[in-house]
Amino acid sequence: MPELDVSTTVNGRPVEMRLPTRLTLADFVRDRLGLTGTKVSCGMQVCGACTVLVDGDPVSACSYLACDVDGREVLTVEGLADGGELTPVQRAFVDCSALQCGFCTPGFVMAATALLRDEPHPTEEQIAHHLDGNLCRCTGYLPIVEAVLKASRAGGIDE
Amino acid sequence: MLPPFELRRPVSLAAAVDLVATGGTPYCGGTELLAVMRLGLASPETLVDLKRVPELVGITAAHGEIRLGARVTHREAAASDAVRTHAAILAAGAGLLGNVRVRATGTLAGNVCFAEPRSDILTALLALDASVDLRSADGARSVPIEDFVEGAFTTVRADEELLEAIRVPARSGPSAYVRFAPAEHPTVTVAVVATGDGCRVVVGAVGERPELFTFPGTGDVDPTAIAERVDITEDLNGHEDYKRHLTAVFVGRALEQMGVADA
Repeated sequence: MPELDVSTTVNGRPVEMRLPTRLTLADFVRDRLGLTGTKVSCGMQVCGACTVLVDGDPVSACSYLACDVDGREVLTVEGLADGGELTPVQRAFVDCSALQCGFCTPGFVMAATALLRDEPHPTEEQIAHHLDGNLCRCTGYLPIVEAVLKASRAGGIDE
Repeated sequence: MLPPFELRRPVSLAAAVDLVATGGTPYCGGTELLAVMRLGLASPETLVDLKRVPELVGITAAHGEIRLGARVTHREAAASDAVRTHAAILAAGAGLLGNVRVRATGTLAGNVCFAEPRSDILTALLALDASVDLRSADGARSVPIEDFVEGAFTTVRADEELLEAIRVPARSGPSAYVRFAPAEHPTVTVAVVATGDGCRVVVGAVGERPELFTFPGTGDVDPTAIAERVDITEDLNGHEDYKRHLTAVFVGRALEQMGVADA
């Protein structure tokens, strides 16, 4: 099985491993690193449940080669809260009840984090466009949009 | 699970072209390729990752045209001042397609080579009369987009050729891009570009490939006539009658967006 040496940073921690070329980023973080906050649902980069950030950009970890994070930085949902202290995005999702079953939530939180990094004060329309590729079957989306607005008012991605 | 493959990571265009010439499959964002590999529709032995090839990076505007290297992502194109100014409908299509993750990783070059019938990029590029530069170990050639795409998922690119860049004539005249996308892929895409010597209307997504209609001027564009003539493929996005109706409606909306009276 073809493999490559990969040197990356995951949630601020250096990781060096030899990985099969066909391993996806989702399987890498979940199975090799035990970071199971990243969920896999459609496996076709349509639903957004597996959204993680690579060098700050949102990607579908289900359809992204683990070898492609060589030399780059990965941020998963586990890398957000600092010592149990939720980020404004996470706090707003809780406060606005922007989740029910929670399966899509890590993907939404990562996508929202990426949005607020680029656009600290997005309009509702910008939020809807940015989150268009993340599916939630519980909330009806309005609490999610409200949560992103609230996080934006609360200082975006930082405290 | 993806099928097994070798992953090669060349750091020069010459090395990338050599690897493609010897049977490697060009790979960059992977948004289309990895999906078909997962579905078992393709199992290339070797992927040639283009993400470290410096010659394929960036957007440049010079000599009346915009050049987009093969590594340019949809997000880069949508945010580019040069593209927004001189190829506004391409920026519009690139900013709307897929989702934020696809736009962050997928490339225009990959999109064009995949030739998905519902490609926003192909609709915009055909309206803009763009062309693609292909390079192989034996030489290079340039092909207009109109001739590049032969049909659904088929292009004239030979296996040993690498798409090096997309070139778009710089245009600052009136243009419009509209689409109807109730799901991941659009049901119809319409691009209209007024050029110095006429008006180019492209209807995409309803058939096997985007189709070009030309008129002497924007005032001559007849949405109903286009809807009657366009090639339609019936699929899960709709029956023929529905797609013809949508075509007329969205050509009309594109003309409205351009401020054409009586649209």
